[in-house]
Amino acid sequence: MNVLIVEDESRIAKRIERMTRDILGNDLHFLTHINTLHEALKFIENSSLDFVLLDLNLNGESGFDLLTTAVSESFHTIVISAYQDQAITAFEYGVLDFVPKPFNRGRLEQAFNRAITKEKTAANKVRFLAVKKRQRIQLIPIEDLLFIKGAGVYTELFLTDGTKELHDKSLEKLEQLLSPTFERVHKSYLLKVSEVREIIVKPGSKYMAELKNGALIPIGRTKYRDIKAKWL
Amino acid sequence: MFKRYETVFKIGDQQGWAAKSWNDEDWKSGRFVVDGGRVFWSRTKIDILKAPESLHPYGLQLHAYGEYEVFWDGVLIGKNGNPGQEELLGPEGKMWATFSIPTHLTEAGEHLLALRSSLHSFPNHTRIEELDIAYYDDLLTDRLIESSYMHLFAGAFLIAAFYFLFLFLSDKKEYAMLIFSISCFLFFLLILAEFIKAYVPIHYSLHVVRLQVIGILMLGISFLIPFYFSMQFPFPKRKLLLIIYAGILLFIFLTKYDYFELTANNMALSMWLFSFGIAVFGGYRKMKGARLVLLALLLSVLISFVASFNKSLFGGFSLILLSMFYLLSLRIKEQRLAYETSLVQSTRLRLELLKKNIQPHFLMNTLTSLIDWVEESPKKGVLFIEALAKEFDLFNQIEDQTLIPIAQEIALCRAHIEVMTYRKEVNYFWEEEGIDPEQKIPPAILHTLLENGITHSLPLEDNSVKFKLVFESNSECRCFTFFTFAAGARQASEDRDEGTGLKYIKARLTESYHSNWDFTSEPTNHGWKNVLKIYS
Repeated sequence: MNVLIVEDESRIAKRIERMTRDILGNDLHFLTHINTLHEALKFIENSSLDFVLLDLNLNGESGFDLLTTAVSESFHTIVISAYQDQAITAFEYGVLDFVPKPFNRGRLEQAFNRAITKEKTAANKVRFLAVKKRQRIQLIPIEDLLFIKGAGVYTELFLTDGTKELHDKSLEKLEQLLSPTFERVHKSYLLKVSEVREIIVKPGSKYMAELKNGALIPIGRTKYRDIKAKWL
Repeated sequence: MFKRYETVFKIGDQQGWAAKSWNDEDWKSGRFVVDGGRVFWSRTKIDILKAPESLHPYGLQLHAYGEYEVFWDGVLIGKNGNPGQEELLGPEGKMWATFSIPTHLTEAGEHLLALRSSLHSFPNHTRIEELDIAYYDDLLTDRLIESSYMHLFAGAFLIAAFYFLFLFLSDKKEYAMLIFSISCFLFFLLILAEFIKAYVPIHYSLHVVRLQVIGILMLGISFLIPFYFSMQFPFPKRKLLLIIYAGILLFIFLTKYDYFELTANNMALSMWLFSFGIAVFGGYRKMKGARLVLLALLLSVLISFVASFNKSLFGGFSLILLSMFYLLSLRIKEQRLAYETSLVQSTRLRLELLKKNIQPHFLMNTLTSLIDWVEESPKKGVLFIEALAKEFDLFNQIEDQTLIPIAQEIALCRAHIEVMTYRKEVNYFWEEEGIDPEQKIPPAILHTLLENGITHSLPLEDNSVKFKLVFESNSECRCFTFFTFAAGARQASEDRDEGTGLKYIKARLTESYHSNWDFTSEPTNHGWKNVLKIYS
């Protein structure tokens, strides 16, 4: 795994680094520490990462600029901050976890485990998905989102206005962030449960979910039973 | 009730001249001089238009110079002093005297008032200033009732005078209050001097003294009122105009010295004109309260049209004094508001200072580093805790002060540097130059600059950041210059930490030095430079 730590307090950065090495053990492939926002943004652009551990206040600057960029990327973001009042906002932007300072190894491990065991976030707090546009990041409100289709390492976000956007996070990562509002109905589809109008059974044990706007989404055979129970 | 005919005079002394039937066709009317305290007679024909009710005698009230005996229809009805013997027996009697007239002599029809007088003190004042005939009881009580009301009024101004005098004594800068207090006191004396005649017998020889006192009081009030307005509504060339005005008043006061009423009238008029000018200027400049003063001045003119000179004088003065009172209350309100604002402000600054220590960015990051030190190297952890305790302790000491010695502030900065060294593991250096440890400075100002310096800069290649405080002073100002030597120092003023930090510094400086300070903050090629100038 590739991990980036963005933290301007050297002692704390070292602590995070030490604990991360300890927790991830042999799974850790690459780890580095950067202490300015500007360098971090540059680094993210040119690297393939799995985790970014981010402090929200760097040298007196707000880390939210970095946060919007980070959450639009394919990796998971874990915020480690002294400002607990920023936790809700961070979750709304789609971070995997918010670790308040001061923290210990157990709390950090819990954050990593969330990603590794694909544990779903307890209560869905995400309000936006950040999408990379040319030269800027666009925040798409979750209520504008109908369903998500996996497209290789990317995903396609289908919106209520009929348009679709590309997103860098994988379907698995999004499933983690968006549960339980969204349900993985198929290996390639993540669907907003409240948008389903009807479940249609087609000949040959094929199941389809018909959405309120008329779109048809395939339901995986293995998922059907769960979905039906939840939906009814 | 009665009709008075012209009074005629004759020098000499004959008992017969008291008789109603005496032929006085050859007697003189108008003014003439009787010197040497010689006795002279005056005769005044009076028609009583309506007889009094039974058992209610009429009375006669005289306001006249001299000592005299009063004859009504030839009958002696009263005595005011000793005519012809003034020099011998000394002054006796009073300027305002009331006599009852026997009931049988007051039927409707023609009557005669004869006075046997002498004028030792003012030989040219052969006249009856006022003459009134009414029910005896009413004559006695009416004046007392009038005086009692006026004295109530005077009492109010006396209390106001004392109240504002005490207010002035508690704050010696408030000259407007002193002026107002003196004006109220003079007005109190003026009322007393005017109405004292109703209950204190004043001999005619002293009457002029009373009028002179009234004149002097008028002079004082006529100067103080516009002077007060000039303080409340300052105008250009104030001193010069006030001096000219004082000159005019003195001129009026000193010339025509004997015409007391005219002098008083002229002074009142000048006072009014000058005050009106000032109030118009104040109104034009939209100064607070000027309109109300204008209104009061115009109302006092209205009163002078409908009331007698005496009444309009007191009515007008009262109105003007009330408007002055109103202005003072406006000023007091302004001061109270300003004071409350300053209280709120200093409480806010105290909180701000307290918050510095417990704001999450400082506290949580410090605690996180601390935990790490304790886990990794307990001995260093202890040193770190001690450094932190020192900073907290210093904060506690300065927490409720508005100015602290620079030495204490530097100690605070050094403690902070120690804490930050453990957190950031950067070598911070502190240097100072020309420090006078007795100099005072608002608390946590340098500390805030230091915090900004640490937050916003990156260490140089040798992992160090250097801070330097330089103090210089001359006759004009004291100057603190705070340098940061670091890489990549920058400042984002819209940033929330930075913004509140600078706001804190500016608010503290304003609290202690009002506007006599100057603060600049700018990047240099080696880092950052803050300059704080405090003007003396």
